[in-house]
Amino acid sequence: MSTYVYGITAKSHPAFSEDLGGVGDPPRPVRILEQGELAAVVSDAPEGLRPKRRDLLAHQTVLAEAGAAGPVLPMRFGSVAPDDDTVTGVLAERADHYKERLRALEGKVEYNVKAVHQEEAVLHRVMSENPEIRALTEANRQAGGGSYEQRLQLGEMVVAAVKAREAEDAVEVQRALEPVAAAVSVGPESTGWLVNVSFLVDRDAAEPFLTEVENVRKSHPHIELRVNGPLPPYSFVEPGPAEPAGSTAGPDAAQE
Amino acid sequence: MTVVPAQQTGGGGGSSGLYDVLELVLDRGLVIDAFVRVSLVGIEILKIDIRVVVASVDTYLRFAEACNRLDLESGPNKSPGLPDVVGQVTESGARGKSKGALSGAAETISDAFRQARDEGGEQETESRPRPRKKTAAARRREEEQE
Repeated sequence: MSTYVYGITAKSHPAFSEDLGGVGDPPRPVRILEQGELAAVVSDAPEGLRPKRRDLLAHQTVLAEAGAAGPVLPMRFGSVAPDDDTVTGVLAERADHYKERLRALEGKVEYNVKAVHQEEAVLHRVMSENPEIRALTEANRQAGGGSYEQRLQLGEMVVAAVKAREAEDAVEVQRALEPVAAAVSVGPESTGWLVNVSFLVDRDAAEPFLTEVENVRKSHPHIELRVNGPLPPYSFVEPGPAEPAGSTAGPDAAQE
Repeated sequence: MTVVPAQQTGGGGGSSGLYDVLELVLDRGLVIDAFVRVSLVGIEILKIDIRVVVASVDTYLRFAEACNRLDLESGPNKSPGLPDVVGQVTESGARGKSKGALSGAAETISDAFRQARDEGGEQETESRPRPRKKTAAARRREEEQE
């Protein structure tokens, strides 16, 4: 029976409720594998596990539960070891590294911030900033909407202006929130959102962070900010190249 | 959408923005070489779907149209000077109108998630349906036989 791994914690980590269900249908019972000072949160791995909604949720829920009691290094969804011994073997082999990461992330949670433009509001803003677009819109309107080429020309200008706004807003949002976070991890770009940044925040400092989020909402009414957290520190388990230099959650960043 | 359950604590995974968190659960987190990962085939498709191509003829025309419809008179007054007004507009149901190429696709997916979740939290979208009314014990026996 292969073993599904949710995350790594310290052994001193308080045990959580017996009936916590993991991935699979029916949910496989969550177990703890101890090795030295470390412990892995695992369950049996269901045959043919796929990233289904309920399994993703189960992964997330187990980690949230484990993270509520103390620091946890969340595994990426879908990590399966051949057996329990492989898991404890890995814990033993890299114990120092994991212990260091757990210390660095102690008392910290991740907030993921995604932002998109409110289309109508951003169009207003772009128009108010750009006389050329205003003039062209007015001309088109008087011409009963304008010709195909005219509409295309206007649209192209507007899209370019909106994209420029996106880039500026992305920087502004990140700059506003950086000072109230312990570390920053920029997520993959996508046209689905203009900002996708994770912030590592002291659990105790969540209030100032969320206050700043509200401030950004007020100062940037054309941006829709979606904040998810507190989450297990998915984006901060490894100091990686994705993070800007000097902003990783290394030992220096940890308040010990 | 503007009001976000930012203070949400762990455990209630079902009510958080799964779509927004999904990306973290699938793409970040610890990876250990000695472990294998399950196939993420279905999910890759989902991720590509949100990558709306902004720079296309359709988008240009749509934006030109949106500009034509905008009330220019209220434009400069409305934004960025009066956040309250914009805030009210956004919250009072203009959401349908205000989502488009920029946010539409992402929202559609997140809406789809929410909807599907509301419809039957635990139900899977994939085939191979298993009668859900079976008792837990019966299902457990079944699992053990697998």
